[in-house]
Amino acid sequence: MSTATLAPVATAQRPLAVRLADSWAQTGLLIQWQLRRSAQSLPLLVLVQILLSVATIAGYGLLVGHPDHLAGLYLATGAPTVALITVGLVMTPQAVSQSRTEGSLDWLRTLPVPRGLFLVADLTVWTLIALPGLVLGIIAGAIRFDADLAPTWWLVPAALIVSLTSAAVGYAMASMLAPTVAQLMSQVLVFVVLLFTPISFPADRMPDWAQNLHAWLPLEPMAQVIRAGLAPHDFTVPGRSWIVLGVWCLAAVVGAGSALRKRG
Amino acid sequence: MDEVLRVRDLHKRFGRGPSAVQANAGVDLDVDAGQVVGLLGHNGAGKSTLVNQVVGLLRPDSGTITLAGVDAVADPDAARRLASVQAQANVPITGLTPRRAVELVGRIRGGRTADVRARTEHLIAALDLGPWANTPAEKVSGGIARLTAFAMTAVVPGRLVVLDEPTNDVDPVRRRLLWSQIRALADDGAAVLLVTHNVREAERVVDHLAVLDQGTVLAAGTPAELTAARSGHLSLEVDLIPGRQPHWPEGSTVVDRGHLRATTTVPAAQAAAAVQWAGDEQSAGRIERYALAPTSLEDVYVDLVATTEEHAA
Repeated sequence: MSTATLAPVATAQRPLAVRLADSWAQTGLLIQWQLRRSAQSLPLLVLVQILLSVATIAGYGLLVGHPDHLAGLYLATGAPTVALITVGLVMTPQAVSQSRTEGSLDWLRTLPVPRGLFLVADLTVWTLIALPGLVLGIIAGAIRFDADLAPTWWLVPAALIVSLTSAAVGYAMASMLAPTVAQLMSQVLVFVVLLFTPISFPADRMPDWAQNLHAWLPLEPMAQVIRAGLAPHDFTVPGRSWIVLGVWCLAAVVGAGSALRKRG
Repeated sequence: MDEVLRVRDLHKRFGRGPSAVQANAGVDLDVDAGQVVGLLGHNGAGKSTLVNQVVGLLRPDSGTITLAGVDAVADPDAARRLASVQAQANVPITGLTPRRAVELVGRIRGGRTADVRARTEHLIAALDLGPWANTPAEKVSGGIARLTAFAMTAVVPGRLVVLDEPTNDVDPVRRRLLWSQIRALADDGAAVLLVTHNVREAERVVDHLAVLDQGTVLAAGTPAELTAARSGHLSLEVDLIPGRQPHWPEGSTVVDRGHLRATTTVPAAQAAAAVQWAGDEQSAGRIERYALAPTSLEDVYVDLVATTEEHAA
């Protein structure tokens, strides 16, 4: 009568290649699930990202008028960085909090999917949403501030690391804090990232204590990486920044992963 | 028979100090392949806590859970590969249609595309979901959403299928279809753990039952075993009239079920006398309606739970 096929039993002994192929397929399906579920709000989210990114450039222009070459470069590269970080630190926690509140996160967690794949799928979706805004922000910045940007090949992996780190921090934050607290935190972070982080201006404009603080946070290295990736003739990334960013990336991914694995 | 789920002496407490809640206090439970086991109990009895520990969303304080030979507490990933769960809360699937949601979940569960598609069509037809299969989820009723959630669980069933209140909000016609699909899951070889309040309907489908109350299994057995103590007895249900007192037959124990309903137990040999009495009372305008029925599982369940509550009080 019916054609039920029971799930395979001996799952632990499956060869690595099979498990990798399964994981690859499952990630694709989870991405499909998330994209289709947010199909209605997706165009709006992308639009908001584009507006945010381009409007930041326009707003910076109003604030500073016609800056010199170096300041122009800071602003032109800073705006897309802000847009990229905002997706991870602000939109990811909001989405995770929402899915916790509506109960879909708990259901997803009952699926036979390795916990890390949820993270990979979500991060892919959020990176895709951020991408158009990022590209248009870069173009807008180059035009408005007459910045001679020369994107390098490693800008792509660098942007992925920035996106991964900020989204994983946002994910971990949303998983560990109560939904309302997480939403509030994400609002506060927008201001910190936009105004009180050396992303669109040089760090030496900040007081010493703030400079020292940012030396240990991932935000300044994120900005340095994107800046140097976009304008390699004018900027380089200090080795220390790569290490700080790398450690944060690793810690955030491990934190988000263990938050997903947590059993009450 | 092939044992799939084996729970032993499971304890789980939430919180600390005086406000702590002992949700599971030494639960034992077995579900074999091909069996539908009903887990009965009212809200807060510890049913969902038990389910969440089986699939590794909660960690037990003590006790063991074995799922097809796998230690589910030590290896929750393996447990999830062996089980499929329909949660008590509906899964939000806005943006998807029922058909798309069922197919996607089937493939996420590792089913082959062609198999999943065929099985999805089978379930849509069997549950009479056809008219709604391609409707965006935000436009379907609660009952259709519930059936979709069932199909998402049954599309690629695990060795263990856990269904938490699957019939909630489902209309009576589709509810029958749903019960036969639940039975079919077990007949195809799955072990089905059915969590429900709906004692009356579950009675016809389950092979075995466990009554959970305040974190412990009060009684377990087949429906026949649980009602055995009352075999040879019938249940006389009476709808009362506000302000009127029926003249109950001498020596009968009357249980007030609330909402103007009362029941009493009658030896089967005296069924005719009971009907005579009820008919007379109805003619005299002291009762509204009556019904004589075999002692049901619901009666046993209500008595079991009521007894412990009296003890607690």
